[in-house]
Amino acid sequence: MLIRDILEESGKKFSDITAVKWLKKKEILERSYRELMENVQTIRAGLVKKGFDGKHIALIGNSSVEWIESYLGIITGKNVAVPLDAGLPAEDLTELINRSDAEALFLSPKESKLLDEILEKCSGLKSIWMLQEEAFSASDELSEKALRNDIKLSDLTEFLSEKADNSGDASGRPEKDDVATIIFTSGTTGKSKGVMLTQNNLAENVISVDYEAEPGSVLLSVLPIHHAFCLVMDWLKGFSLGATICINDSLLHMVRNMSVFKPGVMLMVPLMIETIYKRISGADPSVPKEVLAEKVFGGNLHTIFTGGAHLDPYYIDQFAEYGVEVLEGYGMSECSPVISSNTVKVHKPGSIGKPLSNVEISFDNGEILVKGSSVMSGYYKMPEETAETLKDGWLHTGDKGYMDEDGFLFINGRVKNLIILSNGENISPEEIENKLALGELVGEVIVTGENNGLTARIYPEQEVVQAKGFNEEQIREELQSFIDGYNKKQPTYRQITGLVVRKNPFIKSSTRKIKRQEVLIDEPAE
Amino acid sequence: MKQEMQFKTIVAQYCEVKPEEMTNEMRFREDLGFSSLDFMSFLGELEDTFDVELEEEDALQVVTIGEALELLDRLVEE
Repeated sequence: MLIRDILEESGKKFSDITAVKWLKKKEILERSYRELMENVQTIRAGLVKKGFDGKHIALIGNSSVEWIESYLGIITGKNVAVPLDAGLPAEDLTELINRSDAEALFLSPKESKLLDEILEKCSGLKSIWMLQEEAFSASDELSEKALRNDIKLSDLTEFLSEKADNSGDASGRPEKDDVATIIFTSGTTGKSKGVMLTQNNLAENVISVDYEAEPGSVLLSVLPIHHAFCLVMDWLKGFSLGATICINDSLLHMVRNMSVFKPGVMLMVPLMIETIYKRISGADPSVPKEVLAEKVFGGNLHTIFTGGAHLDPYYIDQFAEYGVEVLEGYGMSECSPVISSNTVKVHKPGSIGKPLSNVEISFDNGEILVKGSSVMSGYYKMPEETAETLKDGWLHTGDKGYMDEDGFLFINGRVKNLIILSNGENISPEEIENKLALGELVGEVIVTGENNGLTARIYPEQEVVQAKGFNEEQIREELQSFIDGYNKKQPTYRQITGLVVRKNPFIKSSTRKIKRQEVLIDEPAE
Repeated sequence: MKQEMQFKTIVAQYCEVKPEEMTNEMRFREDLGFSSLDFMSFLGELEDTFDVELEEEDALQVVTIGEALELLDRLVEE
């Protein structure tokens, strides 16, 4: 099965239904399934015409109709889409563009500030298209740089203007085992890994998640589109059902947009549920629950699917009082992404639901292992990491858990070093430690996840302390100012919000490695 | 003054600190325990309550209560 098969069927069945809605200032704009599929086909054919067939093509930007049409234009042909996190620093993005061997890039106009560095460093790129339907005018400096580096700089009009003379779809259909997309995920070695998902991986996940909805059901997409959970479950699953997917323009406006679009269903990470709960519980207690539910949830919300991190079951009961059912699931990019989920019919609070019908589960010393048609083919150009994770067809999740007598899966710990924040972001502490270690006053550093944020525990470099004659207060000030500088360049989920200045070096193992499990105990935060 | 109290009442929804105990130097993330999303949601609530429009990039640079109040004052005046 291909994603293209699913989309083509939706295009036929739901042609007049609205597929996507979004806000431009205060006006709501929309695209029908017919219009969406026309644009997808035009971009797919256009890519082939321009010589991109079987190539890797990156995308950088927040959710937009242009982003999703371009993404689908890539993966419904033989090209491979590489969605990247627009919030990453430019140096990380250019590294990922190069490491994924991308030959073209779709870039959101909001991220045009990245152009200079991308043009400078990504010599493998041949074309960049700005994700806009109006002509893009680059500065003379950028145009010259693009010309000098042999990169064509343009926009979507290059595709969409050819719609009129669409002489048929020249692109071939991909095979079901062809890689459709590469999604980057935090690695435990400090280097993010490109998860290769095939056409069949994605399509099987879309089909196997047990959720039915009437065509035209309204879904509000609030998660970052480069994440597998959002991409596959909001967008691909939503399109398979003929849903109308509304785009949340900013996390600042999530609650306001719930009133604007009045969704019935939303996908959230636990952090969002916690934040909305604060807003509900902080409201005037004399306001009746129905009125508050209408104000906060928009009036039609009945179901929230959550995943990416563990949710305290307390919230499930609390939200039920406002008529909203919260269903928790479990997944990871490597599994396209859903592995198990509570469903409308079958659920148990505190569990992460029953495994999908295409998933087999096993345990190795308590670690959850997964086998099935949605399991990735491997990490891009990382044979060692692939071999460590995929053994005899079983994917080692790094999570510890168990299955109860009714077949519900539960998680109770982790094998790997990753920090899972309640916004669903997986943080590799080593990746951040490597960056913080560059500070001249940073002798040793360990990053830990505490109070739903990241804390840096730093043992100051004693030579610098002595040379500069710093006292304790000055050390703290200097380190905080170094961290503030680091934070400014990072997406919010990678920012350090706690600082512990250590008086003693970390306890090390016999191989001189810091013992991570001891760092919270031997010098706790004051 | 009324604006400042209203502002602090909104802040108090997201943390354990009472409005009267808040100082301008307090940092949203580190001192008040705001998560990244609490802060975004709080900014959205400021927009709705005071009928102002924040530039997301500028607003996310705000670290302390004092800075947020200053930004709000500026926007309300405009």
